[in-house]
Amino acid sequence: MTMKALDIYKILPKKNCKECGDPTCLTFAMKLSQGKADPALCPYLDDNAKSVLGASTRPPIRLVKIGVGERNIVVGEEFVFFRHEKTFVHQPGILFRVEDTQPEDEIRRIVREVKNETFTRVGIDLRIDGVAIGNTSGSPEAFGKAVEIVESEADLPLVLKAASVAALDAALVHCGSYAPLIHAGDPGNVPEFAQRALKHGCPIAVRPKEFSGLAALIKQCTDAGVQDIVIDLVPADLGDFLAKSTRVRKEALARTAPEYAYPVFLETRDLGKADAGTYLGILKFASVIVTDPLSPAQKRAALTLRQNIYTDPQKPIQMTPGIYRVGNPTKDSPLLMTVNFSLTYFTLQGYLEATRIPCYLLLVDTEGLSVLTAVASGKLSEMLVRDSLKKFDVENLVSHRDLIIPGYASPLSGRIEDATGWHVLVGPRDAAEIGDYLDNLGKQ
Amino acid sequence: MTETTSSEWTGTIDQVILGATKEEGGTRSCSYRIGGESDLPLLGTVPAGIRQPLIAFELCDDLHAWPQIVRHYVGDVADDPAAWSALAGKEYGADLIRLYLTSTHKRGFSDFNAVGTTVADVLRATSLPIIIEGSNEPDIDSEVFQSCGEAGQGERLLLGTAEASRYRSIAAAALAYGHSVVAQSPIDINLAKQLNILLRETGLPHDRIVIDPYTGALGYGFEYTYSVMERIRFAALKGDSDLAMPMICSAFDSLNVKEVRDAEPDLRDDAAVQWEFAAALAAAVAGSEIVCVRHPKTIPLLKEALSALNSGVRRAGGESP
Repeated sequence: MTMKALDIYKILPKKNCKECGDPTCLTFAMKLSQGKADPALCPYLDDNAKSVLGASTRPPIRLVKIGVGERNIVVGEEFVFFRHEKTFVHQPGILFRVEDTQPEDEIRRIVREVKNETFTRVGIDLRIDGVAIGNTSGSPEAFGKAVEIVESEADLPLVLKAASVAALDAALVHCGSYAPLIHAGDPGNVPEFAQRALKHGCPIAVRPKEFSGLAALIKQCTDAGVQDIVIDLVPADLGDFLAKSTRVRKEALARTAPEYAYPVFLETRDLGKADAGTYLGILKFASVIVTDPLSPAQKRAALTLRQNIYTDPQKPIQMTPGIYRVGNPTKDSPLLMTVNFSLTYFTLQGYLEATRIPCYLLLVDTEGLSVLTAVASGKLSEMLVRDSLKKFDVENLVSHRDLIIPGYASPLSGRIEDATGWHVLVGPRDAAEIGDYLDNLGKQ
Repeated sequence: MTETTSSEWTGTIDQVILGATKEEGGTRSCSYRIGGESDLPLLGTVPAGIRQPLIAFELCDDLHAWPQIVRHYVGDVADDPAAWSALAGKEYGADLIRLYLTSTHKRGFSDFNAVGTTVADVLRATSLPIIIEGSNEPDIDSEVFQSCGEAGQGERLLLGTAEASRYRSIAAAALAYGHSVVAQSPIDINLAKQLNILLRETGLPHDRIVIDPYTGALGYGFEYTYSVMERIRFAALKGDSDLAMPMICSAFDSLNVKEVRDAEPDLRDDAAVQWEFAAALAAAVAGSEIVCVRHPKTIPLLKEALSALNSGVRRAGGESP
């Protein structure tokens, strides 16, 4: 159960020594109660306090890192079941799988794709995060060779899908110091695999025969001193994954079962479908997703879905206010105004590009609010429009004085005319209709 | 089987019936019963006879504003809504047809008999249950919904789309001819609830309303809809009966987005299919009992995925899904 800050404070030393990094024991207690600090930071806890706090103040899901380079994967430390409760924090790492039975150039091609291909949406670069290597051959030499090839191409987070301790050792020779995820400690090998994880400081995934065997495997790892664990739920199909991951997230957040306090590993092969498996994993609590390489269309859809689901619902992505150009506008080109909510901008920009009519787009600073909410809250006002026109020197940009405003801002049209002296035209409510609107405008 | 902790829920989603067979007073080859959940989407137990999520194929009677990629893929049959409907059932494998009467969107539209004829033709051409999307202009709603409501009398159609600013004509047609109604609100749980109350006040029973949360395409606000659907379902399971209706979700703009338009020509169909597949799958996971698509190739992918997603749902009485 979660403890209240004051109850935690009662069992702290109350020395205010600051050695934990916090100014007082009370502020430290408040952080502990929110799962944002580690009890081990306090050097003066007695054993009783340690055991009480250890069970109640750890984050509901452990933070685990895979890889050490610039492109490392950080997952876990989630605090909610529904994204609308606050936000999901650490988006799942998605890794493409290669086999040690594949020809070298095929492996290189996939690794290069992961390394180099970027898909830019809403001004943000989206990428596949890493590579999983499968010991399909069963041979340690082939596995070591494949890992060496991958390592020679790129400095990416790796998942080692090893079949034996010998294969794992052959791989760790090449990447042991780069924190690859070892997959998987299973009932047959967990003491040896955990020992390797400890030795190299790597995270380990555990995979029981049956879901019910999870706790025993985790205990073997923690007893061996390995804490950075991710859990494979051995799902039978999409529905089974949904049921298991739902239960794991619920119990982790409720802190009812310590074996569920770890990020979830998902291999889409277990679900039969790379595309649907990846989408479901993104939606429902998978933190590490290993999949056979997705097609370009699947990849873009998956990365976009992940971006959508992991956007903080309370912090809309904003554009920098100012003048944006579509095509190569001239002094006679139309001037449109809208808000700096990134979704509004990118939607409108998409439709404007499709019209092939060059124009200027003035984004005013509504702090990321949409047109409808900015009008309702008063954030979008005639003063804001007037000041923005002045600030971005729009008068010298175009020779005309016609300003097209969004349909939902129509209640402001008169006031904007009065405040700016510009002639206001009310555009459509829906960005999809902007093409027809500009066409008709041109005909008049 | 993995148990989820469902004890926290007190509400149950209303059951809505779509379509009527001969025995039920219609001419459909089957009827569907949707809703009935008392746990999170695709988990727990539902009553016997429930089948969901259903896949609706969206088509129209005037392609003017329809995604070009659809016309390009399906060919000339798209000019004949009746023949297209038959194909959607037999070849594409849809569970439902969602017919948009886009012909009524033309300025000054007044050929209300034609609307009834189109609906009657489609009902003859396919034996699947049908969703009809009527006009989007309040001035002609009354005639349009009267006309299609009458043409589908006894067939238990799902009629759309009621909004807070215009719901009376559609509710009247649903009440007069025994249909159900799609109730759409702009991605807002409170407005969804308000519209359901307004509809109830017209005399339309709860079990003849399907909530449409309004859906932006993947990457274009889809996450807002996803979360509103989760909130609506959460509120319903917590006991808010004014939100305890099945939902319908159509990321209808999916095939128009830049990512599809700008895709390499030989990859464009794939891009379109994955774009609506990901959104439809997510909508089902968020609680949508009906998911709608416009590209025929999306249907088999979605069907397989939804069937696998259903593996955790138990049917009361042990009946398999």
